[in-house]
Amino acid sequence: MAAGVAAWLPFARAAAIGWMPVASAPMPPPPREKRRGQDGLIILNVSGTRFQTWRNTLERYPDTLLGSTERDFFFHEETNEYFFDRDPDIFRHILNFYRTGKLHYPRHECISAYDEELAFFGIIPEIIGDCCYEEYKDRRRENAERIQDDEENENSKDMVLPEMSFRETMWRAFENPHTSTMALVFYYVTGFFIAVSVMANVVETVPCGSGPNRAKEVSCGERYALAFFCLDTACVMIFTVEYLLRLIAAPSRYKFVKSVMSIIDVVAIMPYYIGLVMTDNEDVSGAFVTLRVFRVFRIFKFSRHSAGLRILGYTLKSCASELGFLLFSLTMAIIIFATVMFYAEKGSSASKFTSIPAAFWYTIVTMTTLGYGDMVPKTIIGKVFGSICSLSGVLVIALPVPVIVSNFSRIYHQSQRAEKRRAQKASKQAGQALVCKSNPTFETQHHHLLHCLEKTTNHEFVDEQTYETSCMEVSLSKPSMSRSSSLSSSPHGLSSCCTRRNKRKSFNVPNSNMVAGRRGSIQELSTIQIRERPMSNSRSSLNAKFEETVPLNSEDQSYITAAVISMPTPPMTTPEGENSASSPDFLQSNIVRVSAL
Amino acid sequence: MSSCRKRCKRQILKFAQYFFRFITGTLNADSVEDELELSAVRHRPEALELLEAQTRFSRKELQILYRGFKNECPSGVVNEDTFKEIYAQFFPQGDASTYAHFLFNAFDTDHNGSVSFEDFVMGLSILLRGTVQEKLNWAFNLYDINKDGYITKEEMLDIIKSIYDMMGKCTYPILKEETPRQHVEIFFQKMDKNRDGVVTIDEFIDCCQNDENIMRSMQLFENVI
Repeated sequence: MAAGVAAWLPFARAAAIGWMPVASAPMPPPPREKRRGQDGLIILNVSGTRFQTWRNTLERYPDTLLGSTERDFFFHEETNEYFFDRDPDIFRHILNFYRTGKLHYPRHECISAYDEELAFFGIIPEIIGDCCYEEYKDRRRENAERIQDDEENENSKDMVLPEMSFRETMWRAFENPHTSTMALVFYYVTGFFIAVSVMANVVETVPCGSGPNRAKEVSCGERYALAFFCLDTACVMIFTVEYLLRLIAAPSRYKFVKSVMSIIDVVAIMPYYIGLVMTDNEDVSGAFVTLRVFRVFRIFKFSRHSAGLRILGYTLKSCASELGFLLFSLTMAIIIFATVMFYAEKGSSASKFTSIPAAFWYTIVTMTTLGYGDMVPKTIIGKVFGSICSLSGVLVIALPVPVIVSNFSRIYHQSQRAEKRRAQKASKQAGQALVCKSNPTFETQHHHLLHCLEKTTNHEFVDEQTYETSCMEVSLSKPSMSRSSSLSSSPHGLSSCCTRRNKRKSFNVPNSNMVAGRRGSIQELSTIQIRERPMSNSRSSLNAKFEETVPLNSEDQSYITAAVISMPTPPMTTPEGENSASSPDFLQSNIVRVSAL
Repeated sequence: MSSCRKRCKRQILKFAQYFFRFITGTLNADSVEDELELSAVRHRPEALELLEAQTRFSRKELQILYRGFKNECPSGVVNEDTFKEIYAQFFPQGDASTYAHFLFNAFDTDHNGSVSFEDFVMGLSILLRGTVQEKLNWAFNLYDINKDGYITKEEMLDIIKSIYDMMGKCTYPILKEETPRQHVEIFFQKMDKNRDGVVTIDEFIDCCQNDENIMRSMQLFENVI
């Protein structure tokens, strides 16, 4: 939203007056304002439809046709307006982009016509707002497929992530196995062992032929007890190691322990350990056998490997209220019909409907249309109510099911959309980086504001790397030697005082303007302090001078505020060649030189 | 202990509500989630002529200012959170929220929790077109957090800390703990003439007027609009 923020920059600069009385160093001079033309209305005639807007609105994006001098080619002298022989309907959206900073894609427009208009007016489609971006991309893809063009670029590399600790890398590897080969291997190995463990549990109970000295069949588990025990041990070992690794790597261990998957993990491996502990005691081994049932929970560990399972689980969770309602209404119906059937069949002899709870079984079997036939009504009135029961069962069950199904479908499509969006995000960011350039006046003014803040506090903005190197050097306590090495990177480092390096929602600022401006200021500082030394282009000498200025600044804080401000001295011929031409105003203006004596 | 009990009660209540909703089924999903903040606050500024008389801006300048203001805040007022957000966008490396809070209080002269266009434009009029006396007055008002007419060391420390916060942590030289405190000491040494531990408005204005640096920097932003 560069447009909006730019409107508040004058306010931020005015508020900087609040820093002046507490400033440690004198303020840098303001950048010279370009002679701004009067803000007037511009008439844009697009195939007969007249649009009007302020000149400033158009000049917010100087890289486009309308914001630059390119529009002069379309100026029509007789009518004193700019004439474009293009589609007015699509132009409306383009003009709205200048007004609001957001580009929208109208759904009823043809995608190729829209693309052509954007290309004509010099606007990159990647800046389409989030609301319309997905639609735009989908339409574009459909179009490309229709023309049988291979447009899709492979974005194979992940986004470059900042430096992460080993623990964070491990966690990422666990959560998203596609990040590295190791993670993928681990993923498949654990999946394999889950399958093996579940299969072993199942096969254990299969009858395996009778032993020679026994009459009855023994299960495979008893026959090959040692083999199964070894297999079980191996699986549990792997699961334990995996659980411990996840526990170590988890960013919030408490949250991890509370999560469903970790509980499943624990429940899956506990029976084995409990079994190890309790093999001697005969009484408790009965209960231990029951515990082995929990081993089947290992199958739920597959949900980490299958997105579909997770979606199903999530659907059930989100449809919990519908399911609850279904259950509740079924319970009501069961109780009603069971009571009715009990009293109806009370009269008949040898009736299976011995009590109302006993009638529950009949009602459930009938309502779900199972009809086992182990309990049937014999009286006429029992049969009448039995038929009503089965008919109503069909209705009651059929009603909430579509709700659950539609929920599942919505969540499934949502997860698909999340995948799509993730894939599109990388290309979108690349496009945005190219296109979002604020105008240079704004840049110089913003830069001047930050420079004022630096002067107020007598510290300078540096980037992460320089900061870290200087941190290390401070701890090593080798001031003089290391400072030059850190300073050799500081011209670059200082250039990033305004870059979008952090997570704040800030506008994108290109580096080029900053670098030039910064280098100019360094030279300005260096020319001030040491006038005798000859100026040279080499970075090392620049740094040497800069080094001299820094100790002066940091040590003589109290004296700088009382420094004499000398009037404009004839500007030294700074090596203009080194600077790119992006901020000529800044260097050529009559800079007030300050000398700290 | 009571907060724990309150939390327990709230959890039990939530669980009971959930259980009830589970049983009866809800026809409207997401009933919990729609908490639309009805921003019923709408503010229309005073007439252009009135503002022209009260501030030192010309008609055209007021028009430009209002258009920018209205674009950003269609409701006509800025609340503190929006203010902090906007101000933070200019200082991406540090944390501008504390200073923005003080700034907000300085602009919100009637202390009603929101900055209307009149407050905004009055403040700007002083900052950009005011006399040096008025500007210094405004700065004093900014530093005097509790608006009692005296700047104490604690108030100054808060202000200075908030300014240093805006720098963020990646600075050269590295920000040390005692840097803001030292800065406050220097400031008080300069400003507090009678050494009574507080700076009054007269001491402040006196001292600033004798300091060429400060005087010159006050003129820095003359032609911002």
